[in-house]
Amino acid sequence: MTLATLAMLAPRLAHEFPVADAVGPEWAAWILWLPALSTVLCGMCAALRVRNKLPAWITVSLLSGSFILTAMLFAGYEQPVTIHLVDWFGITWSDTTFVANFAFYVDRLTLLWMLFVTGLGTLIALYAGEYMEGDVGAGYSRFFAGISVFLFAMIALVMADNLLMLYLGWEGVGFASYWLIGYYYRKPSAVAAAKKAFIVNRIGDLGLALAVYLTWHAFGTVQYAELFAAVQANDFSAEAGGWSVQAIPFLLMLAAFGKSAQLPLYVWLPDAMEGPTPVSALIHAATMVTAGVFLLCRMFPLMVLNELALPVVAWVGGLTALFAASIAMAQHDIKRIFAYSTISQLGYMFLGVGLFTTAGAAYHVFTHAFFKAVLFLTAGAVMHGFAGQIDLRKVSGLRHMPGWRVTSYTMLYACMCLAGVPLVTNGFWSKDAIMAEAFAAVGPGYTALAIIALVTALLTAYYTFRVWFRVCAGPVHYEPGLEQHGDAAGGAFHPHPPRLVINLVLLTISAGAVASIFCAEWINGMIEGSTAAGGLPAVHEAHEGAGVWSDPHAWMPYVAGAVGLVGIAIAWYLHLANRTAADDLKRALQGNVVSAWLPRAMENKWYVDELYHGLIRAPLWLLGHILNLLDRYVLDMVIVDGVARIPRMLGRGFQPLANGVLQSYAVSMVGGVALIAILVFVMPEFLEMLNGWIGGAR
Amino acid sequence: MTWLWPALLLLVPLAGAVAIMFAPARQAKWIALLATTITFVHSVIVAVAFEHWHDGGFDLEAVVPSLGMESMGIAVRFGADSVSLLLVLLTTLLVPLCVWGSFSAISRRVKEYYGWLLVIEAAMVGVFLARDVIFFYVCFEFTLIPMYFLIAIWGSSNRSRACIKFFLFTFTGSLIALAGLLYVAWQYAEINAVFEPGGGSHLSWTFDIATLTSFAAGTLSASEQRWVLVALMAGFAVKVPLFPLHTWLPLAHTEAPAAGSVLLAGVLLKLGTYGLYRFVLPMVPVAVVEYAPVIAVISIIGILYAALICWVQDDLKRLVAYSSVSHLGFCVLGLVALNPLGAQGAVLYMINHGLSTGALFFLIGMIYERYHSRDMAELGGLAARMPVWGFFMVFFTLASVGLPGLNGFVSEMLCLIGTFTASATAEVYPGRLGPWYAAAAGVGMIFAAMYLLMMVGKVVFGPLKEPVVREPAQGRALPPDLCWREIGVLIPLAVLCLYLGFQPKPVTDAAAGSIETMLSAYPQEVRRYVARESADG
Repeated sequence: MTLATLAMLAPRLAHEFPVADAVGPEWAAWILWLPALSTVLCGMCAALRVRNKLPAWITVSLLSGSFILTAMLFAGYEQPVTIHLVDWFGITWSDTTFVANFAFYVDRLTLLWMLFVTGLGTLIALYAGEYMEGDVGAGYSRFFAGISVFLFAMIALVMADNLLMLYLGWEGVGFASYWLIGYYYRKPSAVAAAKKAFIVNRIGDLGLALAVYLTWHAFGTVQYAELFAAVQANDFSAEAGGWSVQAIPFLLMLAAFGKSAQLPLYVWLPDAMEGPTPVSALIHAATMVTAGVFLLCRMFPLMVLNELALPVVAWVGGLTALFAASIAMAQHDIKRIFAYSTISQLGYMFLGVGLFTTAGAAYHVFTHAFFKAVLFLTAGAVMHGFAGQIDLRKVSGLRHMPGWRVTSYTMLYACMCLAGVPLVTNGFWSKDAIMAEAFAAVGPGYTALAIIALVTALLTAYYTFRVWFRVCAGPVHYEPGLEQHGDAAGGAFHPHPPRLVINLVLLTISAGAVASIFCAEWINGMIEGSTAAGGLPAVHEAHEGAGVWSDPHAWMPYVAGAVGLVGIAIAWYLHLANRTAADDLKRALQGNVVSAWLPRAMENKWYVDELYHGLIRAPLWLLGHILNLLDRYVLDMVIVDGVARIPRMLGRGFQPLANGVLQSYAVSMVGGVALIAILVFVMPEFLEMLNGWIGGAR
Repeated sequence: MTWLWPALLLLVPLAGAVAIMFAPARQAKWIALLATTITFVHSVIVAVAFEHWHDGGFDLEAVVPSLGMESMGIAVRFGADSVSLLLVLLTTLLVPLCVWGSFSAISRRVKEYYGWLLVIEAAMVGVFLARDVIFFYVCFEFTLIPMYFLIAIWGSSNRSRACIKFFLFTFTGSLIALAGLLYVAWQYAEINAVFEPGGGSHLSWTFDIATLTSFAAGTLSASEQRWVLVALMAGFAVKVPLFPLHTWLPLAHTEAPAAGSVLLAGVLLKLGTYGLYRFVLPMVPVAVVEYAPVIAVISIIGILYAALICWVQDDLKRLVAYSSVSHLGFCVLGLVALNPLGAQGAVLYMINHGLSTGALFFLIGMIYERYHSRDMAELGGLAARMPVWGFFMVFFTLASVGLPGLNGFVSEMLCLIGTFTASATAEVYPGRLGPWYAAAAGVGMIFAAMYLLMMVGKVVFGPLKEPVVREPAQGRALPPDLCWREIGVLIPLAVLCLYLGFQPKPVTDAAAGSIETMLSAYPQEVRRYVARESADG
């Protein structure tokens, strides 16, 4: 596809999906109200200082209610519908009304996202019930209130029928993320990470806000049904108040890159790992961070308003994938490795959206949600069992320890998914859908992009199995972390393996991952009937007779599978068969003058945080201090106080005149008369001048 | 005696103040609480009985008879439309909370303290109910005197400088505003002068706001309107305050007692924006259209400038004071957008800022009562010691940040969308701003998150850090965390923040009529201006 064909596709795309014009069932409102109720109840538990696991059970049961209702909505789905909950905004003037209500827009895209959001939300809340048990009576209620707020906001985001409610959910999930990252609020690093997440997201939010305003300005509505109808009918003003509607895709992109941690706004996600691990699994891997992909899928009809928009998305996605994978290779903190891998996989998803394969992107979102949740939850199980130990150099041979079998092998399967082991893993199929499209599509530099995607796949397989070979395989040896729980505080440290609930959740989600191997066709169907329609299917039948090499969809599975296996083999050699080889390699790199900087730069995350600090934060901070001083000393003390001193100085100036000598009074009287005369004669001209100065030429 | 019905909103607090003078000191706070609660209930009844919630008309119109100034055209004339009444409700809600919240903080010269609180309530309500320029001005100025004493007597270390600066700054500004208003009245009197049969004539003075407003909008020349605009802005911009006339505010806020800060931020600043809404926009449309971009740029500078200054503050009160400068920039921006969305945002902003910033000052006051410090270098991680306080602090901070679902978001979003759509080409309500103004002001949203989260990150979260208490707490010792009285002060505000976040419609419906009346001249004026511009250039 060339740019010209992209532009030609735009009107075609806009005609290809049904727009909601029917009304859905009212009970669906409870999908949103149940998490809200859960928040309130958990809040009451906090206020009443409940000292048992009640908040967890409240949350799990209400969230599962949400999931069941979603499933019912899915089962009874026939066509896109809207469901009105309550009024929110409604401002009328002349014959215009600015409307944005709490209302749902339910099409297949909504349902696809809702199913895994509420499903995984429930399971992870269940897991957290055991994981967070050390905090019962302390932060337990606060934690589950936060999870409930998150689900409330995420559901609002996904189900919204207008951009304003989407914005509410958008900022709401950011806030829930702030709340939960900062859960350990006594820890300065957690507080700083929470703040950073919120602020970096706000930069994206500004893009979303401006996109909403511009949409309202150009289309006269922020409600999806009307908006998409207007797009399909080409019924909008292309220029609105000096901005073109072509800016909308770029503003949406800014928002999506913030929320989904893409270049250049990805920096908050690795730090977000300060939060409890279930939070990392739910919010920062499976659900919230895919909101950016959702936004672009939801607004896909608007994304084609500018023909350059999707190629930019593709390039940002591809570069982020490579960049984050390169950092993940050199980290030691398991959760951070997974965090960078999330950024990298999200890059693949954006690559898919940019290449028009929204179905492929959605498929990867879906599969990623399962295997990445498992990865984080197993990492959490390790932290839980080893008193917060999270360094992959300090735990080894997990699979040989008693009670760790489920953890080790579910982690192995999830690692295989992420690495893309052929045929038996869901990640293989979904990633393949995107990478094949990268080779098939024609666009600005897409061949390079495809090679980047392939290289990233190699790196991914390597860094993923680096974790597994280090932590789960090899000789048994461990050091506890710093968070000694009560029972281990006295004598020698004993790891406590996960109990029933955690294992059950791990197995269930892994089963989901296996099941999602067979979901490709289903997801194609889900996307075709939604606003993200018009893209390319996630699975292609190889063209018959056209020759294997001419169709990337035909040979991609073999190449991608081979690349993944090579990556695993390298990891096996460096991190299991011959662990000193990795250190030797690093030493060799450091010993060589030419390459000495490389390992250090990768370990230090390419110094991007430092760069942002130096280029943005520090100058602003300096400016703040300068303005503060200017305000206090120049504006206030010199100018304001100076003006205030004028009357006193005038008074001082005239003081000698009041000296009690008659002649001098006479002199001053004459002076006064003269002054008045001058004023009378000169004043009109002076006023005229002043008038001209203040009032301009007219 | 119909005038008594609105007048009681002023008279009850004044009567309470008189009663306090003759009562023993220990009963002063109860009398104040009673009087302000009665006023609140009264205002709610007035609001329920109000008939013009949906059409922008005025109700409660009444003139206090035979005060001997009729020949001058001056009268104590009451009247309120929906926007005035909303602000009256905000005032009558905040004052009893201020009284209740001061129970433990004030132990010195108690009678005077509560007396002044009641007097200032009467003055503030008077401003919003006045339909006569002189009556308005008297009330407007009279708010200064109680506030002067509240700062001068019960303020902290640098209070004398603060109260003098506060007084002189705002007094000078409002004198110039008075001159502008008098000029309008004088022009009216001259043009409508009655010629007597004998050949003489006498000026026919009136100070009725409605009459003068329509006169000024319809009759004054463009250059006269410009002068009146400059004069009025001098008064109201100081009150708002707009950059660079804001320097009195941080000082006054830091030195004032908690209740003083609450009223200052909650109501007194709104006198400025209310002045813009009630006088500047309806009176001088030609000049406003011409200067809207200038005022908008000043507001945007204020938003960003104050936000960056907030970010480097150490003093909690100073931080929140500068945040008011930043926030009210959005409010003024919404007003000069000259369209209903922006104006709706501005009206909501007045109420929302009063609630959330008022609550923040209460919260800081509660800390100050316990630790005698507002220094963020000394205070940290207080959530560990005071979880309830921490909850409310985070809640109101988020309301202030503009988190959707809470009130601040609604007004900020409406102001910005109003600004964004206020371009010359807009169909129904063209304006003189546009997307770039909104984008620049929108950066303020990011800055707001930066400085407010910095504040809670230091004070509420992190490792616990408490100052060595310098002096023993005055009066009865307070518990470490909030007591029920303090929670009771905060809960009404929190409930309203949440309610207005999810249900702004009752307020926007109520304000719609008033706003359409206020903006009625603008679409035409803007089109005329734009046409002239394009003809010139």
